[in-house]
Amino acid sequence: MRSGAGLAAIAAVGAPSILHAQTKTLKITTWGGKWGDVMKATVLPAFEKEFKCTVSADQAFPFVPKLQASSKTDPIYDVLHTNSNEQWNSLSEGLVMAKITAKEVPNVADVYPYAVSDKIVGVTIFTSAIGLGYRTDKGLAKPTSWKDLADPKLAGARGGYIIPVNSLGQCHLMMLGKVYGKGLTDLDAAYKALEALKPIKLVDFTGQMEKMLLSAEVSMGVIHDSGVYRYDGPNMQPVDFASPSEGVLALEQVLNVTPGSKVKDLAFGYIDYMLRPDVQKLLAEAVWYSPANTKVKLDAKYDAKLLTTPAKVATLIQPDWKWYNARKEDIDARVTKILKG
Amino acid sequence: MSAPMSAPMSVVANKRPFDVGHAAYLALNALLLTFLLAPIAIVLVFALNPTPYISFPPVGVSLRWFEKFFAGTEFMNALWLSLWVASVVLVLSILIGGACALALARGNLPGRAFLTAFFMSPLMLPAILTGLALFQAYLLSGIGRPVWGLILAHTLVAVPYVIRTTLAVLHNFDRRIEEAAAVLGASPARVFFEVTLPLIRPGVFAGGVFAFIVSFDQFPVSLFLVVPKGETLPVVLFNYMKFDLDGAIAAASMVSILLALSVVLVLERLIGLKAYVKL
Amino acid sequence: MISGARPSPIAWLVAPAALLFVLFFVLPFGVMAMMSFYSGNPVTNPNAFATTRHYERFIFDTAGIYHEALWSTLSIGLVTTVVSLLIGYPLAHWMARMQSRLGHALVLMAVIAPMLTGIVVRTFAWMTILQDKGVINTLLIQWGLTDKPLPLMYNEFGTVVALVHIYVPFMVLTLTGVIGRIDERLEQAARSLGAGRVRAFVEVTLPLSLPGILAGSLLVFALSISAYVTPSLMGGTNVLTLPMLIAQQVGTSFNPNFAGALGVILLLVSLAIVVAYNRILARLSGEQGMA
Repeated sequence: MRSGAGLAAIAAVGAPSILHAQTKTLKITTWGGKWGDVMKATVLPAFEKEFKCTVSADQAFPFVPKLQASSKTDPIYDVLHTNSNEQWNSLSEGLVMAKITAKEVPNVADVYPYAVSDKIVGVTIFTSAIGLGYRTDKGLAKPTSWKDLADPKLAGARGGYIIPVNSLGQCHLMMLGKVYGKGLTDLDAAYKALEALKPIKLVDFTGQMEKMLLSAEVSMGVIHDSGVYRYDGPNMQPVDFASPSEGVLALEQVLNVTPGSKVKDLAFGYIDYMLRPDVQKLLAEAVWYSPANTKVKLDAKYDAKLLTTPAKVATLIQPDWKWYNARKEDIDARVTKILKG
Repeated sequence: MSAPMSAPMSVVANKRPFDVGHAAYLALNALLLTFLLAPIAIVLVFALNPTPYISFPPVGVSLRWFEKFFAGTEFMNALWLSLWVASVVLVLSILIGGACALALARGNLPGRAFLTAFFMSPLMLPAILTGLALFQAYLLSGIGRPVWGLILAHTLVAVPYVIRTTLAVLHNFDRRIEEAAAVLGASPARVFFEVTLPLIRPGVFAGGVFAFIVSFDQFPVSLFLVVPKGETLPVVLFNYMKFDLDGAIAAASMVSILLALSVVLVLERLIGLKAYVKL
Repeated sequence: MISGARPSPIAWLVAPAALLFVLFFVLPFGVMAMMSFYSGNPVTNPNAFATTRHYERFIFDTAGIYHEALWSTLSIGLVTTVVSLLIGYPLAHWMARMQSRLGHALVLMAVIAPMLTGIVVRTFAWMTILQDKGVINTLLIQWGLTDKPLPLMYNEFGTVVALVHIYVPFMVLTLTGVIGRIDERLEQAARSLGAGRVRAFVEVTLPLSLPGILAGSLLVFALSISAYVTPSLMGGTNVLTLPMLIAQQVGTSFNPNFAGALGVILLLVSLAIVVAYNRILARLSGEQGMA
């Protein structure tokens, strides 16, 4: 308990140095683009002010190799923000924590079950639905099934991803197993279906897929809802998103804490902060992500399209990344052979 | 058609009627220049196109992307960082690489062929490995990721260019000019500074231009070695683009082209690609 | 020609470069090469053990993609080098022989500009030009020269075009210094002795510019066999080179040990090629009796 005089004395003697010594630094990762803009302009400064710290946000993707190379007792990040598949990779190397509960992050009590399911390492703060994007001006009926991508009329006008490097492509592969075979793990059926999808234009990341859809280079492609919905209002384009009846795959934004972090409390505080309804609303509406917190109330136009009710959230399929990552090398080699030439 | 021995080429050309060969030569070069410049023209179109995604044909002309670029502190900071890192790398590479080329060409070093290949090896390795290897090394030795670490990493990948271009000029070098100067009484140092250096200037300049550009446009190595708020422009652009695909990156690209070209132009005036001595 | 077995004092000029390379290249890569013989990172992972399995994985290639990746790398490198030379030489010659200072500066800027565009934006520019709905195909279809779009992208053709575009400036700048050093009057002497323009070029200028040709080719070859961003973005899955594999291993499979092994293999193959190149270069310069 300090008295006002005591505080004044401290302030007179050496406040700047004392405050500086107390200012902790939280090292996080973040995406660029619109997300990064909002984080840097609004979210992070507010966080820094409230928690009296500085946040050092690394935008230079990829993050996991850097975390891998740094020492476990002095990791280069305190909070790792990445997709599910990479969180599982990181866990297998002991780089992140296995489970985060409401004890460390109180707002976890308010999230949808998918956000902390056993398919998740860490805490999901946002998700998107991976489905089919299609052009509305090519005389195509709105796709109702994943099988619609294999329509012979779409030969050479459909788009997918280079599977070794893109998690949407990996999700798509697993989905082929479910739709044409016995389930998400039926790789034989998936490979056969992949073969049947040729000719297909393959890209590295979703930005390129967006471009292909927008320039009509493809008429239909695998993409997440955010990548289509963001072109709304004055930017409206003849491209729409369809959620196939077999279900949509989850592209989750997951936060986790490194075990060797020296500012764990601050790190958990950050995750808690990112789950606050007002912060969730701000980011969700900026980039069209579906918030993980059930208590978030989005504006009508966002609410209509994003996954904001238990019923809509139930359409999300979460793949078993632990299973996939263990086989990734073999899968990569196999799909490369199938799709080459 | 023959020409008097002392007449320069241009006079000969002027004397001819319409020169099909020369016209074909110019047409070929114009075509090749078009190949080089077409994508840049496209980038300019993107930068001026008001739509929020990259499309062709363009719908109009607008400066909004340039405004967005200049208003964004992140882009501007990255641009300045890239510029001054590249400038430092330029100076370091010319000094280190030029000296090394001289040693390789004149120093009678044992294992010359191997050494030359050795100094070229950073070019043959995917830069992502170089970046990762240096990142690991920096972390292991506790250096962290300071700016000078970034600069030296860029210098490592830039020096081979200077070595290569300077060696190319040195190989085609008539030593008798130096010998003549020595015979006329110039000291070795004077021969070096007043005869040798000016003659290898085009090679060093070409290498220096490479070094500047390679550092300015360097991406994979920087990816590992930049720190938050200390990112170079290519890193910022790449990570912006993975997420957002609007004209801002095209505007950023145009601005960096213009700036870098100005630097090269200044260099050309100062050092001069054409400034060589003819006997 | 200076002969003699002992290094001259000038040899000391190699010291700064040697120091830079030892500290920033040999040591880090030594660590990486060492790690390529481990299953994990021995510093941070106590369970990592020594193994040659990464090399075995490449050599035995049960996956069937690794050897092909190496050939693909070398063949794309070779094609890119040859095309860059064919495009770069005329431009370099023009630039070197240009009398006007302004014209020279303009061409220089035009040649350098592609290098400055930036890896990302440049690729998107090529996408706009080469894809099925791109500029070239749209024009070809409009003019009735073809009724189906030509596959110019997501294959080796698109990759080579984009790579050549980046590397022609390197070729030009290397060549122009060398060509500029060739005394024009040598060509004129040949002309005055009765040789046609083409013959004077082929028998006088071209041989004298050979060191530049070899230097430029070596540079472009080395660069194109280590490129991975451009082939990834331009080639789809039709193109898989060793650098692309390495990038995948580092960035998405998080296996820096295997990536390191692939890097060592690539480096050894490249060094062998480069040493052979340099032997040729030395022999040719020696034959011409210069330096």
